Amino acid sequence: MVVRIRLARFGNKHDPFYNIVVAQARSARGSKPLEVIGTYNPIPKRAASFSSENANLRPYKEIALDRTRAKYWLGVGAQPSDPVWKLLSMAGLVEPKPATFHKA
Amino acid sequence: MAPRIQTGRVSNTILPYLSSSSSSSSSFSPLCPSSQSLSRQFSATAASQTKLRRQMFEWLNTEGAAYKHHIPNETNYLKGPRDFEGGPAKPFPNNKNFISESVLSEDLRNKVYELVVHQKKSIRAVSVQLGIDMRRVGAVVRLVELERRQQAQGKPMAKPYARAVHEMIPVTQLADPNERQTYHEPINDLPAHPTTGAQIFYPVPESRSFTRVDAGRVFSAAPAVEHSRKDELAHPSDLADIVFEKPGSIEWVGKGDNARQVLQPADVRIPHPQLVQLDRDRAAFPTERRAVGERHAQRLERQEKNEEKLREKARSLREDSIKHVEPEGGRFDFRIKEAVFSEQTVGQDGRAPWAPGRRYGVPTNDRKRGTVKIPTRVEA
Repeated sequence: MVVRIRLARFGNKHDPFYNIVVAQARSARGSKPLEVIGTYNPIPKRAASFSSENANLRPYKEIALDRTRAKYWLGVGAQPSDPVWKLLSMAGLVEPKPATFHKA
Repeated sequence: MAPRIQTGRVSNTILPYLSSSSSSSSSFSPLCPSSQSLSRQFSATAASQTKLRRQMFEWLNTEGAAYKHHIPNETNYLKGPRDFEGGPAKPFPNNKNFISESVLSEDLRNKVYELVVHQKKSIRAVSVQLGIDMRRVGAVVRLVELERRQQAQGKPMAKPYARAVHEMIPVTQLADPNERQTYHEPINDLPAHPTTGAQIFYPVPESRSFTRVDAGRVFSAAPAVEHSRKDELAHPSDLADIVFEKPGSIEWVGKGDNARQVLQPADVRIPHPQLVQLDRDRAAFPTERRAVGERHAQRLERQEKNEEKLREKARSLREDSIKHVEPEGGRFDFRIKEAVFSEQTVGQDGRAPWAPGRRYGVPTNDRKRGTVKIPTRVEA
């Protein structure tokens, strides 16, 4: 069976929060994973705009990631799901996937 | 008899400038024939006044008339029987514990901003110069910056409102250039440390010298200092220099979760330890004012340099652990924080309450009674 690195949704209604988990591909989203290797908060945060340099910043999303564990699981053949692939590519652990469509 | 409903013109004390006639007529006149006829349209019998209501109008016509219009730069608070001039301003005579604290005047807060931002003075120095708490100095700088940015964006300011409010509450004014600045608040207060809450009976032989440093060690259950090391320290306030130089020199006691730093004497924990040393120098060398001033300036400079170094170190540590990714064409940035999911950080079963991420098989207590749901802090 395939081992995947994927997101497990936590949080409440309209307030999502994800654990980045390593789990068997066929297991349920809410079941206990093999391992938790990070978190992803998809609700964008805005830096407090007290100083002028913060005022023009874009809102940001927070990711926490255990790089060594992520590298290990990728090394033994765990397959990241598409959303996790995006996050891992931003962390510089995998090559970014080519965009499937191009804006005109 | 006073009308049930006040249909006459109600004077607004905030706007005495707008209606010049209202300031001239200081007597309160609830008996206005036109308003009476307006308020009694549906009733043929005269409604009787309650006693309290009658007393209220009596008061408004006698003592209360003085409060109708405020005098600029004087508080318009009710004066209790025991209130005296120059005491703290108390708006509620029956609540003696409510003291109306003064606020910074417009000039003073602009001066703070000018000193910190344009003249590049340290917050510590500005705090001592103007007698404002260091946290307040920081807050003033942030808020004035916010105000200036809003002004630059052309947002409207509630200036008349601010001016009117400042006329009615106690305000700390900026002193003239050749005058001494009155202190806004005590700036060198010692924060209460929870460790000092315990009452400890600690017998000490009379022959032994027992200082604030030793008392701190007793409070935090640390072993006493050796005699040889004790002689190095002439006065507890000298410890402040050492601690500022090397913050890591503070000893730790206890193991594991119980590990804590040894409680430092008050000389170290106060916000401005250098002021104690300045006063000690002044007492020791009353004739050498210039030399004492120079020594103080040097100490301040050294302290600021150390603090700056520490801040820089903390900042670089924070920056290094967080990777900023700014994808092109996206609406959001991403901040990738380094996290460690090991047995130490998540516990043996991965369910430790301090573990990063959300946990499995543990109910979230976010809907329990007493849980704070509103944000309690702002990430700057």
